[in-house]
Amino acid sequence: MSNTPKIIIVLTLITLISGAVLALLDSYTRPKIDNYRKIQENQAIAEVLPENDRINEVAKDGYVFYEAYRKHELVGVAFQVSGGGYQSELVLMLGLSPDFSRIIGLKILSQVETPGLGTKIEKDESNKEDPGWFINQFKDLRTLPSISYVKNASPSRDTEIQAISGATVSSKAIVDILNTHIKKAKAARGIE
Amino acid sequence: MTEEKRSPQSGGETRPAEDPGKTAPAPAAETEKPKKNLRSRLFRSERMTIVEPAPHAKGKNSVPRIMYTVILALLPAVVLSLFLFGTRAMITIMVAVFAAMVAEYASNRIMKSTVSVDDGSAILTGLLLALTLPPGFPIAGTALGAVVAIVFGKQVFGGLGANIFNPALIGRAFLQASFPVKITTWSMPAFAAKGVYFDMATKNAVDGISGATPLGLLKFEHIGTQLKPLLFGNIGGCIGETSAIALLIGGILLLILKYADWRIPLSYIGTVFVFSGALWLINPELYPNPLFMVLSGGLILGAFFMATDMVTSPVTPLGTWIYGIGMGIVLVIIRIWGGLPEGVMYSILFMNGLVPLLNRWTRPKYFGEIQEEKKK
Amino acid sequence: MKQKTAIQEFLKGLWDENPVLVSLLGLCPTLAVTVSAINGLAMGLAATFVLLCSAFLVSLLRKVIPNQVRIAAYIVIIATFVTIADRFLAAFTPDISKALGPFIPLIIVNCIILGRMEAFASKNGIGRSLLDALGMGAGFTLTLLVLSSIREILGSGTWFGLQLMWPFYAAWKVMVLPPGAFLTLGCMIAAANWINTRRRS
Repeated sequence: MSNTPKIIIVLTLITLISGAVLALLDSYTRPKIDNYRKIQENQAIAEVLPENDRINEVAKDGYVFYEAYRKHELVGVAFQVSGGGYQSELVLMLGLSPDFSRIIGLKILSQVETPGLGTKIEKDESNKEDPGWFINQFKDLRTLPSISYVKNASPSRDTEIQAISGATVSSKAIVDILNTHIKKAKAARGIE
Repeated sequence: MTEEKRSPQSGGETRPAEDPGKTAPAPAAETEKPKKNLRSRLFRSERMTIVEPAPHAKGKNSVPRIMYTVILALLPAVVLSLFLFGTRAMITIMVAVFAAMVAEYASNRIMKSTVSVDDGSAILTGLLLALTLPPGFPIAGTALGAVVAIVFGKQVFGGLGANIFNPALIGRAFLQASFPVKITTWSMPAFAAKGVYFDMATKNAVDGISGATPLGLLKFEHIGTQLKPLLFGNIGGCIGETSAIALLIGGILLLILKYADWRIPLSYIGTVFVFSGALWLINPELYPNPLFMVLSGGLILGAFFMATDMVTSPVTPLGTWIYGIGMGIVLVIIRIWGGLPEGVMYSILFMNGLVPLLNRWTRPKYFGEIQEEKKK
Repeated sequence: MKQKTAIQEFLKGLWDENPVLVSLLGLCPTLAVTVSAINGLAMGLAATFVLLCSAFLVSLLRKVIPNQVRIAAYIVIIATFVTIADRFLAAFTPDISKALGPFIPLIIVNCIILGRMEAFASKNGIGRSLLDALGMGAGFTLTLLVLSSIREILGSGTWFGLQLMWPFYAAWKVMVLPPGAFLTLGCMIAAANWINTRRRS
């Protein structure tokens, strides 16, 4: 066709200009976006490993371990884990003692569970005094031999948490995610 | 939905149903049936009659007559629920029925259609909705459910006969999605807590005010329930789903009067029994007893009173079988592998959606159609 | 056909040719993101931005772009502006960007935008194209705002995050779930049709 050269030239020009504009834009916005992500991540780590003065990042076997030091002594390890909830993927930031025997803190990074039921794992609006009662149960929880949950009763052992009534599946999902990943991460870090 | 019965004058002798002619299916017209073999009993409908020239005698059946009979058939379950749950059940039922009637009247006026409050269909929808709610469900929520059932379940499609889904279940689905906590807050029957009525429903987990349904207990805590309380209704659950016997009395009445197609409860409950029975035989530890599956939850209420809704069930017998079996499979899948303890509502709504397709796939061949196809 | 006045060109997008309520275009973002008023507004504004910029460029280049590859050229132009909007939202309003998720990048395939490029901007001058885009964008934004307001008020009891309903109001959770989107949109389309029928008669 006679206008083939024109087609090539016009499309090339449009894509070139568009690429150039986007490249410029990216160089301007990327630092801001990365910065925001870093802040979020640091906040989460600070929340699950409160007492630290230095964080060291170690990537191994698919995990990124954030090692928290205080006065050059390893006080805890945090890493991100995820797994299937009732209707969404649950992403958690988990903070553990260096030997992985105790949970120091747990934070939910993202979840889209059933509003009013499954969302209680993060915030229970029916409990005015302590909306975060469910997730706070994980503080100082022992991980050996494994974490388990009880229903409609107060936990009797130091490896037990109380499930949310009406949202057993979401509660169980968190326990399952923790058990699997603690075991896997242990292997990755070579802890017996 | 007025049905015409064959009049003695015009009908003369009945021809066998093997020659169905070009008839539109007239529901539940009673004819003198010649001897039928098993196959025709299962797959040929007694609804298929022969087109006859006028004059026709008008049958006694009418929409109000059918609706009020179904309401009557529900009475044993209603009375028992009042006995079990007391005023809480009564308030829920009254609110639902009243709200449904008001919504029906308002829709009629807004849409400028014939006022159809007195045909009983709104009362039945409200009553069925109330029976699927837990006693003690908030009044405002009950009323909202009834309004949604009538307006979005029925009137937006053009009124009775034009709706795709069972209106009461639309209302219930709306409430389930809106108030997931309230709708799963069960109360045990008042007498069960005191241990007066027959024997205790469950060995464990009876804590007076709030209880769990047998299906919930099984799914989340692996506690079984004995069969006797399931039969008599001494268990936690929705207002109308607790006693199998009270529901069966009304259900069988409907089958005898042919207001409900016997194939639907048979295929639905039968499929649940066979499917869950097969699973139970494979691993009785993991899967529940099939009798428990049949008697617990809303299966009997759903199978006899909701799945058999004339508007939202298939018109052809073969379609009806597929419909019932489909509901049974969906129900067992939801109950055993799904996230919810109970799936009667979703199984019926799901198959309701397929009814137009089933009707089309299973349309009977008219006389001579097969030869025509062969010629091509 | 009689040429529309400038103001008519703008107004048609608000009601007579409203992209959502009348043309039923762009329903995917309409249904998916309208769980809260702020999301609906952000989505509407982002789409309007893309619509305006693309309409300007397409109208400017309408004599340069060869007919055979016009759709490809439009898509590249639209995609560029969508990426700009997406990056800016991520950089300056990360929370909204997170809430809208993949639906900002998906503006690229929003039928409203490609439809207006093909049907209008490629055949009209810059001034008219901009007016048309502004009208369509405003119509889209307003519809989304109303839809998301209804859903947020009924489904969460709040509006733009402010507590609106009485304290013991039990929120209809279904309204912030997908069925609520379909129910509300259905009612809005029904209402629009009803009003139009009455106006005509």
